[in-house]
Amino acid sequence: MKIGVFIPELLRHLFKKPATVDYPFEKLEVPRGFRGSPYLRPELCIVCRACERDCPAEAIEITAINEAEKRFRMIIHNDRCIHCAQCVDSCPTEAMLMDDRFEISDYSRLNLKMEWEYVRAVVKPKSEQKS
Amino acid sequence: MKFQIPIGPQHPALKEPIGLRITVEGEIIRDADLRLGYNHRGLEKLAEQKTWIQNIYLAERICGICSHSHTTCYVQGVEKLMELEPPKRGLYIRTLVAELERVHSHLLWLGVAGHEAGFDSFFMYTWRDREIVMDILETITGNRVHYGINTIGGVRRDLDEMQVKHILDSLEILRKRSEYYRNLGTTEPSFVARLAGVGYLSPEDAVALCAVGPTLRASGIARDVRKDDPYAVYEEVPFEVCTADTCDVLGRAVVRIKELFQSYNIIEYLLKNLPAGPIAVRAPRRAKPNEVVSRYEAPRGENIHYIKSNGTDKPERLKVRAPTLANYAATIKMLKNGFIADVPLIFAAIDPCICCAERAVSVVDARSGEEKIIPMNTLKQLSQKISYGKEKKRVAEWPL
Repeated sequence: MKIGVFIPELLRHLFKKPATVDYPFEKLEVPRGFRGSPYLRPELCIVCRACERDCPAEAIEITAINEAEKRFRMIIHNDRCIHCAQCVDSCPTEAMLMDDRFEISDYSRLNLKMEWEYVRAVVKPKSEQKS
Repeated sequence: MKFQIPIGPQHPALKEPIGLRITVEGEIIRDADLRLGYNHRGLEKLAEQKTWIQNIYLAERICGICSHSHTTCYVQGVEKLMELEPPKRGLYIRTLVAELERVHSHLLWLGVAGHEAGFDSFFMYTWRDREIVMDILETITGNRVHYGINTIGGVRRDLDEMQVKHILDSLEILRKRSEYYRNLGTTEPSFVARLAGVGYLSPEDAVALCAVGPTLRASGIARDVRKDDPYAVYEEVPFEVCTADTCDVLGRAVVRIKELFQSYNIIEYLLKNLPAGPIAVRAPRRAKPNEVVSRYEAPRGENIHYIKSNGTDKPERLKVRAPTLANYAATIKMLKNGFIADVPLIFAAIDPCICCAERAVSVVDARSGEEKIIPMNTLKQLSQKISYGKEKKRVAEWPL
């Protein structure tokens, strides 16, 4: 046992590059498959409501605007979203996807709401659920 | 002459709210009393209103550091209820994430121990190296803290060649760094002197007070759920249960450093023997009426989930016994006959996660010190009695 075993390591680090990045000016790249915010590709949505049913934060809301014309509105409440990507896993037609944005804070929770109005798509769902 | 000192619920030495009432004689602690209930979140009740799938993410949010432990424990229980057999590759990936989580949790604890012992550069260095594990976890699961990789019947994401190579490369750096910390932790005299002999817990007491995890293993008792009651793929993976016989905070640090190396070996084994095949099986939406107890060795100790199903798509009851709760009784024993200055160190040595362990609220009468548990109906009646006959408050408006 000797005193000051840590000092050589400390001195060596004086001449090393900093471990942090200069954040607002320089940003780290997020890895592939990063779970950002969910978004909808309305041309693929068959309104099976699997995402609405499975969302643990109840952040997805699908309402019918006109049943006869098969027009629907989907609202994603990003202020409630917990970014778990369960909606992406539950979707049988890959209509839900995650983007890679991570700077999503805002001054008002209303600005975080995302909304789509669309006609129900006619796509054959995959027989096997995406695992 | 005896004094009572309250530490907490809000105190600079504590990271989370917990009430400690300490009876001291001079500098020496003669008695300690723990007060829980400052961080209760009503999580178990909420679980009864959500479906099996939604509850995975709820269980994940019980704790930030051992998030994978709680989901795995929950998911294992649900798989038993639904009589599912997850595929081998899925179990391997699940175990891999579990071990990576153990590495990140132990590195975090080492930093905290350094910080509590007044060795802040050690804290900064271990936490910088912890970033390597966090980056691995982010690349393979998509998030740094809440991995969300478990699903009922397997895992949600597969590993590819690039990721396997990335993990193996990073593992080399981690091994080298941990080797350095092991030497440092046992040769830096001021650090060793601060930890040795603090918070003594004899093996008999550790067993009698049901201590779990590194706290128990530091008292020389080799108990580990991974060995005693293997789950996932631990039956096939060669590893040792690490123990120390010093029974103090130094022993707990040594156990954790030893476990780091065991975890690196396990990760390497898992990656080199990763079987091919599917990663998940499809799960039904409902479970037959039954009940199950699931055990899991979290970085802090044994984690127990009790799940009861009633034939619907929601659980009837979910009970969580977090490892910290099991260690509280031993903490009081460790605090006795110690110094006031050692309180933060002893408390940090069990790696407390207070919000994990908060499960019930009792009401204490401030004047008489009497404790009682008040049911919800009585609380409602009380509030009605107080507000009866008074003019109604203005209807609350949404601020936006």
